[in-house]
Amino acid sequence: MGFEYLKQKRILIVDDEQELLNMVATILREDGFQAIQTAQTVKEAISIANTFFPELAILDIMLPDGDGFSLMEQLKKQSDYPILFLTARGEEEDKFRGFGLGADDYMVKPFLPRELLFRIMAILRRCYKEDDPLVKLHDSEIDFARAEVIKNGIHIPLTAKEHDLLSALYRNAGRIVTIDALCEAAWGENPFGYENSLMAHIRRIREKIEANPSHPVSLVTIKGLGYKLIVEAN
Amino acid sequence: MKSVPKLIRRFVGVLMISSFLILIANISVLIIIGLQHSPNASPWSSAKNAAAALTKTENGYQLSEQMAAELAQQNIWAIFIDNQTHQVVWHTDFFPEGIPTQYTLSNIVSLTRGYLNGYPTFTGEAQDGLMVLGYPKDSYWKHMYPSWDYHMIADFPKIIITFLAVNFIIIFVIYMTVNMKLLKSVKPIVEGIQNLTTKQPVHLKEKGLLSEVSANINRTSEVLQSQNYQLKRKETARANWIAGVSHDIRTPLSMIMGYAGQLETNPNLTKAEQNQAMVIVRQSKKIKNLISDLNLASKLEYNMQPIKWKQENLVALVRQVVVDFINTDIDQKYPIEWMTEETLTSCVIYADKDLLKRAVSNLIQNSINHNEDGCNLYVCVKKEQNQCAITVEDDGVGATKEQIEALNHTPHYMVCDDNTTEQRHGLGLLIVKQIVESHHGTVLITNRRHGGFSVTLTFPL
Repeated sequence: MGFEYLKQKRILIVDDEQELLNMVATILREDGFQAIQTAQTVKEAISIANTFFPELAILDIMLPDGDGFSLMEQLKKQSDYPILFLTARGEEEDKFRGFGLGADDYMVKPFLPRELLFRIMAILRRCYKEDDPLVKLHDSEIDFARAEVIKNGIHIPLTAKEHDLLSALYRNAGRIVTIDALCEAAWGENPFGYENSLMAHIRRIREKIEANPSHPVSLVTIKGLGYKLIVEAN
Repeated sequence: MKSVPKLIRRFVGVLMISSFLILIANISVLIIIGLQHSPNASPWSSAKNAAAALTKTENGYQLSEQMAAELAQQNIWAIFIDNQTHQVVWHTDFFPEGIPTQYTLSNIVSLTRGYLNGYPTFTGEAQDGLMVLGYPKDSYWKHMYPSWDYHMIADFPKIIITFLAVNFIIIFVIYMTVNMKLLKSVKPIVEGIQNLTTKQPVHLKEKGLLSEVSANINRTSEVLQSQNYQLKRKETARANWIAGVSHDIRTPLSMIMGYAGQLETNPNLTKAEQNQAMVIVRQSKKIKNLISDLNLASKLEYNMQPIKWKQENLVALVRQVVVDFINTDIDQKYPIEWMTEETLTSCVIYADKDLLKRAVSNLIQNSINHNEDGCNLYVCVKKEQNQCAITVEDDGVGATKEQIEALNHTPHYMVCDDNTTEQRHGLGLLIVKQIVESHHGTVLITNRRHGGFSVTLTFPL
């Protein structure tokens, strides 16, 4: 998938285990990320952050001279950028604490490289969508920054709800997003009884992005479960 | 424990009523004995009979033979005093010395009321005189001056009833006081024993008659408390130990999984080598699931898993789990079919979202683990009158009837206190059962009608 502009982002990885740092750095490098720095302690992390200006931090919770939560607070004071927790602590309380303080995602070790990469890309896409170039679909392109679709050279504006729905689908491009998650993205928490409205919005989006809205190829229905947005490679 | 005050009340009540009954019985017995000791022919009536039995003949007075024999038999002497002369005009053959033969009016009054020379005397009226019977000395004791207030005799029944009523009231008051005192001293002990059964700490005042019992209850409570504490400590230590081990395994396992995952897709390796890496990844995933299952199962078992109750839409929750599986199943080896009716969009129950998600994903993972060559999965949420059912089925290898039976009824080795070395099954289903139980639901494991495995979780609405 063509998200080369996101691969330019500066990433800071903090973990007390040197081998794990090496592994994560290798995984990221092999996927095309270039600006990667690692730190083993809170102190080291802060001093690197002062000169490196990371755009995403991957933090462990248990560090030799402090914990990941307080490190996150200190890093966020400097500049507000997304944080992904990568930890061996699977406890649910930790998960909530992390999200409550403004963490963007949370992964429990062990993890598969592709899962980690997917999460990182999802966070970056969400947080840096303003500098997103056009998203290429089969029959059209989406310009999220200007909230419009370009089909056959014609610029078609997106409504706020359509923009929200497409963003949610794009963040999980290539994956199914449930009906409930889409309703939540458009109408907020506990969205009961919006299924019909959702169907109406999806139909309108298809009219804008598909060559033949009756036979969609970019925004496909997964019966009973949800929808999937298929993005073309650049 | 409510029976103890009842028991005491009954006991004291029986005691009181029986003492009252004994009092009445005693009085009755006294009356009966008194009646028995006064002979049918009382001395007064004997005297009257004797007077009637005396007839005047030409030779003087004559007593009937029968009466004479009766008097003689009882050693009774008799005299007859003439009305006119106040002289003794007749007497029995047995006539003690010293008995006067001439009587004044005051003599007659005195002998009627009392004694004559120590002989208790009784009089009977005849037509022209007075018959006097003299009983042997010390045979009768006479009321010399019997007289009672008229009202006392007239109100006798009333007095008796009042007397009994007063007695009854006194007994009742004693009953109440004794009862209250006894109950007051027993009540804390009863409460203490009750608290013992609910594992609450008990501290009774060690005073009064039952101080020893109180002291023993206090000791027992202390022993129980310390045992509970030790048990809790052991359980916590065990759960912490498991949590610690699973934590420590995670980081090294990350590296195994991470590098194996990279090798799996490394284009410089041969297909065979890539497959070997794939096996490492798959087995590492199993270890990953196992340690997180072990951790959660031990926490659920020792009630250390906090449950966050919230209203949750089961349809959305199960749908998310299914989609998560489909999204990660890249090779489409385990396609999942969503069987829920399209009209059912929400089914709201009070639940812990993360735990329920875990239960459903364990069921799906279970089907995947037992069908290495792939299988189709069918997931369905159904809303019935007052319950909501989640069914996860597969068309894979299934299980034998015996296995199904064992899964439904045999306790898991982890929560079984037998010394068993036989490992029956993984932790996946145990966790499902623990989670569903904490949500007051039920788990039903069966074979799918067309072959394969089927698990239904039912929750009350």
